[in-house]
Amino acid sequence: MDNEKTILIVDDVEINRAILSEIFKSDYNIMEAEGGEQAIKLLEDNQHIAAVLLDLIMPGINGLDVLKAMNHNGQIKKIPVFLITAVNNQDMLLEGYNLGAVDVITKPFMAHFLQCRVKNIIELYGHRNELEQMVAEQVKRLNEVNQSMVETLATLIEFRDCESGEHVKRICGLTKILMTEVSDRYPEYHLPQSEIDKIVASSILHDVGKISIPDRILNKPGRLTKEEFDIMKEHTTRGCDILQKIPNIMDEGLYNYSYDICRHHHERWDGGGYPDGLKGDDITIWSQVVAVADVYDALTSERVYKKAFSKETAVEMIKNGECGSFNPKVLKVFEDCIAKN
Amino acid sequence: MSLLEELKGLGVNIEEGMDRLMGNAALYERMLGTFVKMLQESGVQPDFDNTDYAEITEKAHAIKGAFGNLSITPVYEAYSEIVRLLREDKPEQAKEILKNILPIQDEIIQCINRHRS
Repeated sequence: MDNEKTILIVDDVEINRAILSEIFKSDYNIMEAEGGEQAIKLLEDNQHIAAVLLDLIMPGINGLDVLKAMNHNGQIKKIPVFLITAVNNQDMLLEGYNLGAVDVITKPFMAHFLQCRVKNIIELYGHRNELEQMVAEQVKRLNEVNQSMVETLATLIEFRDCESGEHVKRICGLTKILMTEVSDRYPEYHLPQSEIDKIVASSILHDVGKISIPDRILNKPGRLTKEEFDIMKEHTTRGCDILQKIPNIMDEGLYNYSYDICRHHHERWDGGGYPDGLKGDDITIWSQVVAVADVYDALTSERVYKKAFSKETAVEMIKNGECGSFNPKVLKVFEDCIAKN
Repeated sequence: MSLLEELKGLGVNIEEGMDRLMGNAALYERMLGTFVKMLQESGVQPDFDNTDYAEITEKAHAIKGAFGNLSITPVYEAYSEIVRLLREDKPEQAKEILKNILPIQDEIIQCINRHRS
């Protein structure tokens, strides 16, 4: 017997449960439920249920209700459900199929056919679940490899910029904190966690364009001339050019966020930024957030042309508009988060 | 005469019932006993309320399923008809069939009880 596999039999009539149990007990572990409520509880508490044999008509919570619960928690995609019925009620059976049931067992039971049908479907679902698991693991690994390539690229750029690679890590960390809080606090900026994760991963490439900036400007130990600053500003658009040439390094979602952040993380709320002079919420919220994180990290880090400012001084400078204007809502979140951490 | 032989004489399809239980005669006999208990606790009587019989329909449906699974064929067929008539809002006709089948049902119950005691 494969002890991993359990069949849950749900029927309010003891005899029916006993018969089904007898049919399957030599090949599977058997679990019985006298009604829908007990079935839902057993399904919640047990991870190794390989199939459910579900009576449709039961007092209280009936078979269709159990199917609805399994749809609600996603179990219907993993566990095959066989409807047990003596009723030739096509509407009810159709509803059962629409709710994800795989097959119908009619009473009285025909033992040998039943064994074959249940065994085949359990094997099929087992293979499908294994394949899905394998694909999910491979996608995860592929994403990890892609992410590490992106991180390597970002770190190489940082080394050129006389940084240790810590800047991009700090930007990621601060972007995560700020983006999560902005999303939680302001409904108009709400994003699902999966999107926030992509934004955080994308923020790492915000300065990829700096690789195209000459050393004499990138690492100049003093203030840049207007001409030099104009070249420096080009790191935003040149970054986008680079990303366009390597779109396959990441999936479409990451690419779109990276491209937007790369281009717009120097835009400012009042339209005084570059390269496009976007204003207000024409700048995406993720680029606004990365902009604040980038400025804060630049102020609190030592650079070839300046010493590091204290945390408090940096916050004051940003609030006072010394680094350009920012969305007041993002600034409020920023101030609260810095005070907390 | 054994219980199973006697039931066969009353129209019960013993071979099919046993086959359903993978040939386990002891289990089959035990299930017959369980079923008798179920009937005695919540059987359907022909004097049910003619206006509200949803509960009776549910009960008759459960009994029908068990009769079918134990291959007590004559009674199973009658209960199938009773359930159908109740669902079609024909309680009087359902009662008639129930009255006709109850003596056979009682005979089967007595037979099972006699062998179990």
